[in-house]
Amino acid sequence: MKKNKKMSSRDKTYWAITIPVLILFFTFNTLPMIKGFVYSFTNYRGYGTYEYVGLRNYIDLFSDARVGKSYLFTFKYALAGTVLVNVLSLVMALGLNSKIRFKSALRGIYFIPNVLGGLVIGFIFSFIFTYILPAAGTALHIGWLQNSILASEKAAWIGVLIVGVWQAVAMNTIIYISGLQTVPEDVYEACMLDGANKWTEFFKVTLPLVVPFITINLVLSTKNLLMVFDQIMSLTKGGPAQSTESISYLIYRNGMDGGQFGFQSANAVLFFIVIVAISIFQMTVLGKKEEQL
Amino acid sequence: MAKRKILKVFFAAMAALGATSLWGCGQERADRKVEVELVSYKPEAVAAFEQIAQRFNETHDDIYLAVESPNEAMTILKTRFVREDYPDIVGIGGDINYSNFLDAGLFMDISDFEGLAEVKPSYLDMLEELEFIPTEGSYALPYVANAAGILYNKDMFTEHGWTVPQTWSEFLGLCGEIQDSGVQPLYLGYKDTWTCLAPWNALAVGLADSDTCNQVNMGNTTFEAAYRETAEKIRVLLDYAEPNPYAYSYNDACTAFARGETAMYPIGSYAIPQIKSVNPDMNIGSFVFPANENEADNLLNSGIDLQFCVMKESKNKEAVYEVLRFLYEDATIQIYLDDQGGIACKEGEFALPAELEDMSAYIRDDRMADYQDHHYPSEMSVDAMIQTYLLDQSDSAADTFLQRFDTDWKRYNRDLIRKVQEYQQEMGGAR
Amino acid sequence: MKKDTRINWVLTVVLILGTITVFFPLYMAFIIAFKQPSEMTNDVAGALALPAKWSLDNFRQAMEVTDFWHSLGNSLLITLGTIGLAILIHSVAGYAIGRSMAKKKSFRIIYLYIVSGMFVPFSILMMPLVKQTAQMGLGNRLGVILLYLVFYMPMNILLYTGYLKNIPAVMEEAAGIDGATTWSTYWKIIFPMMSPMHATVAVLTALGTWNDVMTPLVIMAGTGENTLPLAQLNFQTQFGTNYNLAFASYILSLIPILIFYIVCQKQILSGVANGAVKG
Repeated sequence: MKKNKKMSSRDKTYWAITIPVLILFFTFNTLPMIKGFVYSFTNYRGYGTYEYVGLRNYIDLFSDARVGKSYLFTFKYALAGTVLVNVLSLVMALGLNSKIRFKSALRGIYFIPNVLGGLVIGFIFSFIFTYILPAAGTALHIGWLQNSILASEKAAWIGVLIVGVWQAVAMNTIIYISGLQTVPEDVYEACMLDGANKWTEFFKVTLPLVVPFITINLVLSTKNLLMVFDQIMSLTKGGPAQSTESISYLIYRNGMDGGQFGFQSANAVLFFIVIVAISIFQMTVLGKKEEQL
Repeated sequence: MAKRKILKVFFAAMAALGATSLWGCGQERADRKVEVELVSYKPEAVAAFEQIAQRFNETHDDIYLAVESPNEAMTILKTRFVREDYPDIVGIGGDINYSNFLDAGLFMDISDFEGLAEVKPSYLDMLEELEFIPTEGSYALPYVANAAGILYNKDMFTEHGWTVPQTWSEFLGLCGEIQDSGVQPLYLGYKDTWTCLAPWNALAVGLADSDTCNQVNMGNTTFEAAYRETAEKIRVLLDYAEPNPYAYSYNDACTAFARGETAMYPIGSYAIPQIKSVNPDMNIGSFVFPANENEADNLLNSGIDLQFCVMKESKNKEAVYEVLRFLYEDATIQIYLDDQGGIACKEGEFALPAELEDMSAYIRDDRMADYQDHHYPSEMSVDAMIQTYLLDQSDSAADTFLQRFDTDWKRYNRDLIRKVQEYQQEMGGAR
Repeated sequence: MKKDTRINWVLTVVLILGTITVFFPLYMAFIIAFKQPSEMTNDVAGALALPAKWSLDNFRQAMEVTDFWHSLGNSLLITLGTIGLAILIHSVAGYAIGRSMAKKKSFRIIYLYIVSGMFVPFSILMMPLVKQTAQMGLGNRLGVILLYLVFYMPMNILLYTGYLKNIPAVMEEAAGIDGATTWSTYWKIIFPMMSPMHATVAVLTALGTWNDVMTPLVIMAGTGENTLPLAQLNFQTQFGTNYNLAFASYILSLIPILIFYIVCQKQILSGVANGAVKG
C-alpha cells in the first residue's frame, strides 16, 4: 500500500516533467512538420499562391529518376560510412582512453575536424583531391590516382565519404569515450588478476559494457550519414554528372533554392519514414543484444 | 559541483540575453520622415549603395532611404516574403526568380514611372520575355547589365599577334593556333556545374531564338531542334581546354587565367574582380562569343544584373518613385558603375569598363540577348545536365541530352505550361 | 586501489603520427590565412609554401569585416544558452522518460516519438518555422535558442536515457525510502552522476550550434544581429570568395569551441575519478 502511493507520486513527477517538454517539442517540431506534410500535397513554391495537387507529388517521387538515384547514393554512402565511422571511432576512443601521454592534447587535436567550417573543408579537400593526390599519383606512377577522384562519376562518392568519415569520427569518438567511462576501473583490475589478455578483456568485458553506446552511436552515425549535406555542398555540389546528389541535398537544393517546395516536402516525408524505419530496426536488434548481456 | 557550475553559466547567459536583446524594434521614425526600405541582392555592391543612400538622404528632408545588402539575399528575401514582411523596393537580377516573384503577384505595376522611357529597348524586351504569362504592366526598372562571352589575356594576344575572332571558324582557327604555340587556349571550371552555363548561354544567344523557352511552352518548337547546334558546339570547346575540366572549379579556373596559364576563359564579366584579386595588374579583354559563321548573326550575351522592383504591399508609392527617380539619375548610375563595372541599362553616355571595349559596338547597336538560363527553373539543374552530357562519351550523347532536356522541361514546368496554354486558349477564344 | 601508471608509449607514438591527418589540412588552412590573394596559386609547391611575410593583417581585417566581438558575443550567447538549457531540460526529461519507459508503454511511445524527431529533415520544417517564429515574436536570438533546444532534444534524450541504463535504480529508491522527493533525489543524486554525459551533451550540442548557418540566417534575418558563421558569409559572394580573409576568420572562430571542448573533456574524464559510476 505504502509502496504504491510512493510510486504514484514519483509518476506524477515524471509526468510533470514530461508534459511541458512534449508541448515544446510538439510546437517546434511536430507542428511545422504537419504543415510541411500538408504542403506535400500542393505545388507550393515556398511563397506566393499555390494549389492542391492531390497525390501527384507522391506519384512523381516514384517515377523521378533523379530522386531514385539520390536514394541509391545516400544508402551506399551511409552503409559504408556507418561501418567505417564506428570501427574507427571505437578504436580511437580505446586509444585515447588508455594510458598515453599528451592525452588532453591528442583528444583536442582529433576533435578539430568536426569544427572546421564548410568553406575550409571544401577548399582544402578539393585542393588535395584535385592537385596534391594527382601529383602524388603521377610521381609514383599510380594510374588511378592521377585524375581527381572528385571528377570521376564512379569514384566521387568515395572522396565525399573520406571527408565525411574524417569529420564524423570526432563526434562518435566523444560518445564512445564517455561510454568507456562507465566501465568501472575495478572490472579491469579483476581482469588483470585473472590474467586475461587485452583481446579477451576487450571482447568479454569492455564491449558488453558499452553496448548501449554502440546502439547510440550506430543510430546517430547512420542518421547523420543518411542526412549527408555539408560535405556535398562544399565538395561536389552533387556532381560530377549528378552522381553525388544526396537526398538532403536534393530536398534543400530544389525545395528551398528551387521552386519545388511542395514536391520536396513529399520527398522529405518519404525520407523521414525511411530513416525512422531503419533506426527502429537498429534499436530493436541492438536492444535485444543489450538484454542478452 | 558540476550542477552549480552549469547553472551559473546558464544564468549568466540568460542575463546577457535579456540585457542585450532588442525585443522588437519600432517602425515609426522619430524624425517623421517616410522610410523607404530597399533590399539589394548584391552584397558586393554594399559600398556603392551606401554612398548612394547617403547622397539621397542628404538631399531629401521628407524621405529616408535605408538600403540593406544582406548575404544570401535570395534566401533572406524568400523568408521575408514567407513571413509577409515586405521591403518597399527590391534590387534583384532579371532571372527566373523575378519571373517567379512576378507570377506570385508580389510586384507593383510601375508603368506610370517616367524613367521607363529611358531604358534601352533590348532590356525592356528581356523583361517582357521573363514574364511567364504576358502582362499589361511593367514591373521592373532595369538598372545595370553584365555581359558574358570570352575573357582573354590581352598582353598574351598582343605578344603573339593573335586577333579577336569574328566567326566560329575564325575562333576554332585561333584556338588551334594558340595550341600550336604551346599555350593552353581555354580553361574551363566545370567542377562547379554552373560554369557550364557560361559558354552555353554565350553560344545559345547566337544560335537559338531569345524566346525559345516561351516557344516551347506554347508547343511551337522543341529544345531538340532549337539547341542542337549549341549542344554540338559546346562539346567542341573541350578539345581546346585542359584535360579533365570536371576536376577544376570556378576558382581554379580564375586563378589559372590570372596566372597566365591559359589565353582565354569563357565566362562573364562578373569573374573579373575575382581574377584581379589574384593578379591585380592583369590586362583583361573580352569579346562576344563568335557562335555563327556570319558575324552579323552574332549577339552579345547580356542580361539584367540588377533591376528594381516595387513590392505591391508598399504603402509609400510617392516616396518610392522619388527614390527610383534619384536612382535613375545619370550621376547615381555612374556611382554604381564606377564601383561595380557593368553596362548601364539606361540610354546615354556612360563610360564602359575597359575590359568590355571589344563589345562596345554590340552595346551601341543594341545587338544583345538575354542569358537563356534566366528562363530555366533552377530545380531542373540544366547546368548539371550539361555537365552530364559533356561527360557522356557515347555517340548518341547529344540525342540523349536534348531528349532529356525536352522531357525534363515538361516535367518541371508542367503547371506553367498548363497556364500558358490556358492563356493561349483564352486569347484565342477572345479573338 | 592501486592504479596502473605505466604509459603505453607505442600507442602514444601511433596516435601522434595519426594527427598528421588533422595537421596537414590545418596547416593548409593556416598558411592560407596568412597569405595575400595574389599569392594564391594552383601548383602544389606554391600552395604548400609558407606565406611571403607573416602578418596578422588578414586577421585584423577579418575581425573588422565580421564585427568580430559583437558576432562572437551573439554566437556565445546562443551556444551557451542552448547548452545550459539543454543540460537542465534534456537531462531531467531523459531521466523521467528513461526511468518510466521500462515499465510503462506510454513513456516508451513518448520516447520513440521524441527520438524520431531527429530524422525530420530541416528543409521541410524551415518555411513553416520561419512563419511560426515570426508570428510568435520569436524571430530573434531567443527563438534560435528555443529551436536548437528542440532540434537537439531527440539526440540528447537518446544519450541521457542510454547513460541512465548504467545507473542502477537502487540509488534513488534508497533515497526515496529516506523520504526525499523524486525531484530532489534527481538533482541531488542523479544529476551529478550524469556529469560525463552532461559534458558529452554540451560538446555535441555546441558542435551543432556553433557552426550552424541556416537556422540563424532564416530566423534572425532582418534583426541586424549576426552570429560568427553569418558574418563569415561576407567573404563569399556569388562570383568571388576571399579565401584568405575567410580562413583567417574561420581559424579565429575555431579557438573558442576548441577551448570549450578541452574544458568539457576534463568533465568527461572526471566521471571515473568521482567514483560516481560504480556497479
